[in-house]
Amino acid sequence: MKKTDIRVNINGEWHDLTVTLQDRLIDTLRDQMGLTGTKEGCGEGECGACTINLNGKAVLSCLMLSVQADGAEIQTIEGLQNGLDLHPLQTAFLSESAVQCGYCTPGMIMAGHALIKQDPDPDEKTVKTCLANNLCRCTGYEQPVKAVLKAAREMRRKTND
Amino acid sequence: MTDSYTVVGKSFQRIDGIDKVTGTARYATDLKFENMLYAGLLRSPHAHARVSRIDTSAAQKLPGVKAVATLFDVPKVVQYWFFLRTEKKKEQMFLYDNIVRFIGDPVLAIAATSVDTLKKALSLVSVEYEPLKAIHDPNIALKETEVSIHKKGNIAFKVNKEFGNIQEGFKAADIIVENTYHTSKQKHAGMEPIGTCVASFQSNGRLTVYSSTQLPHWSRHYLAKALDLSLNRVRVIKPFTGGAFGGRCGVIHGLEVMTSYLSRETLRPVKMSFTREEDFSATETRHPMTIRMKTGATKEGIITANEVEILSDTGGYGTHYIGVIADCMSTGIGLYKIPNYSFSGIVVYTNKSMCGAFRGYGNPQMNFAQESQMDIIAREIGMDPMALKLKNYREEGEMDPVLNQRILSNGLEECLTKGARSCGWEEKRSKLPGNDSIKKGIGLSIMLHGTGAARALPDPASATIMINSDGTANLHTAAADEGQGNRTVLAQIAAEILGIEFKDILVSETDTDITPLDCGTHGSRQAYCGGLSVRDAAMDARKKMLAHAGKRLMVTPDQLMIKNGRIFEKTNPENYISIKDLMQKIQIRDMGVCEQIIGSASGIAPAMPGYYGAVFAEVEVNTQTGEVKVIKLTSAYDVGKAINPEMVKGQIVGGGIMGIGYALTEGLQLEDGHILNPNFTDYRLLRSCDIPKIEPIIVESNEPTGPFGAKGIGEGSMVNIASAISNAICHATGVRLTDLCITLEKILQGLKKIKCG
Ligand code: FES
Ligand code: FES
Repeated sequence: MKKTDIRVNINGEWHDLTVTLQDRLIDTLRDQMGLTGTKEGCGEGECGACTINLNGKAVLSCLMLSVQADGAEIQTIEGLQNGLDLHPLQTAFLSESAVQCGYCTPGMIMAGHALIKQDPDPDEKTVKTCLANNLCRCTGYEQPVKAVLKAAREMRRKTND
Repeated sequence: MTDSYTVVGKSFQRIDGIDKVTGTARYATDLKFENMLYAGLLRSPHAHARVSRIDTSAAQKLPGVKAVATLFDVPKVVQYWFFLRTEKKKEQMFLYDNIVRFIGDPVLAIAATSVDTLKKALSLVSVEYEPLKAIHDPNIALKETEVSIHKKGNIAFKVNKEFGNIQEGFKAADIIVENTYHTSKQKHAGMEPIGTCVASFQSNGRLTVYSSTQLPHWSRHYLAKALDLSLNRVRVIKPFTGGAFGGRCGVIHGLEVMTSYLSRETLRPVKMSFTREEDFSATETRHPMTIRMKTGATKEGIITANEVEILSDTGGYGTHYIGVIADCMSTGIGLYKIPNYSFSGIVVYTNKSMCGAFRGYGNPQMNFAQESQMDIIAREIGMDPMALKLKNYREEGEMDPVLNQRILSNGLEECLTKGARSCGWEEKRSKLPGNDSIKKGIGLSIMLHGTGAARALPDPASATIMINSDGTANLHTAAADEGQGNRTVLAQIAAEILGIEFKDILVSETDTDITPLDCGTHGSRQAYCGGLSVRDAAMDARKKMLAHAGKRLMVTPDQLMIKNGRIFEKTNPENYISIKDLMQKIQIRDMGVCEQIIGSASGIAPAMPGYYGAVFAEVEVNTQTGEVKVIKLTSAYDVGKAINPEMVKGQIVGGGIMGIGYALTEGLQLEDGHILNPNFTDYRLLRSCDIPKIEPIIVESNEPTGPFGAKGIGEGSMVNIASAISNAICHATGVRLTDLCITLEKILQGLKKIKCG
């Protein structure tokens, strides 16, 4: 199988990786980099469990080839916290009981992360529309929506301080 | 025990939350071991066929293929824990014999060094099938005598029971309502596909299996039995699990055996994972049922008789088909004190994907039919449905004739009154729909579901608690947590009794080497059954702590209290010792003692208490398009005691959304045994933009046999949603729907019928 070299920034660090032309980004992250926080729920772009941020935007890593990520900056769930300090989204998902089995959680949080970057003050409808790409079978969505809204508030408060 | 709890009743955050929000939680799909092989299954393209020959030679020659196991050489496994009691090996779910019974039924498994090699190898196998006549319709399965899906025929199970005298019951009735209901083939669709497991068999005869099973200890039993190993050599570890809802206590056991067999053949770790499509098309679903129900009532609203006939379709194989149909009966009869009740159920095999356990376990089907009947009767006699329910429900103190136990707690009346008040039931229900094309309606439905399965099934729960020398504790329980939060709840129960802080309890991983016998997580049982074992283990440890403390404080243990990290004399709190000091002394400092306090408990729960719920659904129906919008659910559930209210609410809200899916969008569609919608585009789960407001209301009836009064919640929260929605649609439009799921077409058809008179 033909291989090629790519250079990607993953969670703040540049990596030189060798991948095949068929390798999906999700597999490179999970298998090659050991970043198993990103989950696969369908492999077909339908569930959002594999959502990561690529150059600040939410993308489905199961639908992307690794070669398409050459030169890009990627952020996964593992790159959110700062040492032991959780990111406000992570804290809000916990305090709002937005996590049950947790399988959809990394994707949800990364979707929320890209949203807040783009729109620091989203309303409930915007959050619901954004999270509509992420299936969750446990929570019923109410709490994840609340958690993203709360995190956005918290992040605005922090930047204003 | 006093009423002012310090830990119980408080909404602590889940103990595994940080792992989940940081991406460090490892699910079975995330596991990878040195030298690991990848396994997969070759599946039948035929709905019903005899496998006459399997040629694996080309696959076996492929470099990287390490083991091939066909249905001719794998060990067989019992399929359902009920059958663990017998030595007979019942029909199992796959690789059972040389007949394939649904499209997707596996014929062989291969283990290879990479996923690519595995795929190539599977494509190189040639299988000769002799197609047999397939049966897709359960009604045909019932009559067909020439085609037999299993040796014993097409009928898997039959039950007939009569309580009272059904004919007399109908004689006493002023009105009789009879309808036939159909329910859909709903899929669990947990976000982590069902069917991932890693098995590692070592040359020393030790087998370790990582499986997202709901029943780790029963997995261990199946594995030992199938592979002829002693139980102590089999270790089952349950990693984090991406939702279960009943989907991980049936077919998954066949998978564990298969994977372990391949590992034993190769002496290498083997990982098997199903794709989403395999999850949809070849793992269990909810049983589709046809339910004929004939109900009689007096003008005054006394239900005098109910006659129920169910035809349940279990597909090509059966796992929980007996339990599921039995639960239709027990939940139907248990809820209302209808003096004359006849129940007959038949379960048949068809050449479709198999059915099994699924949140609600027969109850959502039964509840849809029975609660629709109740609504029809209330309308016909001109009575408020709530009044009809209050008149007929089986109250506290009465006997449950199926479970043969007295009802010790029933908060249904409170659920009804609180829910009705909160949603404005009376006003909304008495409103006429008006002339707009968008019609508003409100519907009500109630439910009863059992907690656990004590005495009905082998249903053990156990726990051990070890107190450390710094006053913290380790709790060992095999309660499998698939996201409900039961391990957090169990930690709260332990902390409350031990008088220590919640954060000072650490709950072990579920690992059969260290966590004692527990039948697993099913039947809404962990807060109750698991909770009782943890309560008793903590009491055991506490008793031992008090005995030591008594010696040091110079009083008898019964004079002591334990709270907030201290043990003190009830009448003289100044005479105290901190738990930490006491543990330090007896474990380390006092070399004449050196004892670790270990508490343990094991056994079954004293009862199978019912928990109750009332759901008020508000809908808007567009009579032009047939579109139904659920505006709000007010869901009141009696959980005995909410050990962790936020977690209870999580179950009510999550179950509510799953219930709306069951009512309106979900169901596998089959054509000649082919599943037409094995993906999330065509099988529609609700998404965040579709959700209505859900108002959870917790009612606490204080179950006397429960730990701190607790009973279940997990399954019940989806049971009576579809019926409440259907009743609301009827209130809005006059259309009575009898088929799930309720599509636009069905509503438009119903409206047309009304128009044409
Ligand atoms: S795994 Fe990528 S969308 Fe489902
Ligand atoms: S928490 Fe389980 S799928 Fe979302």
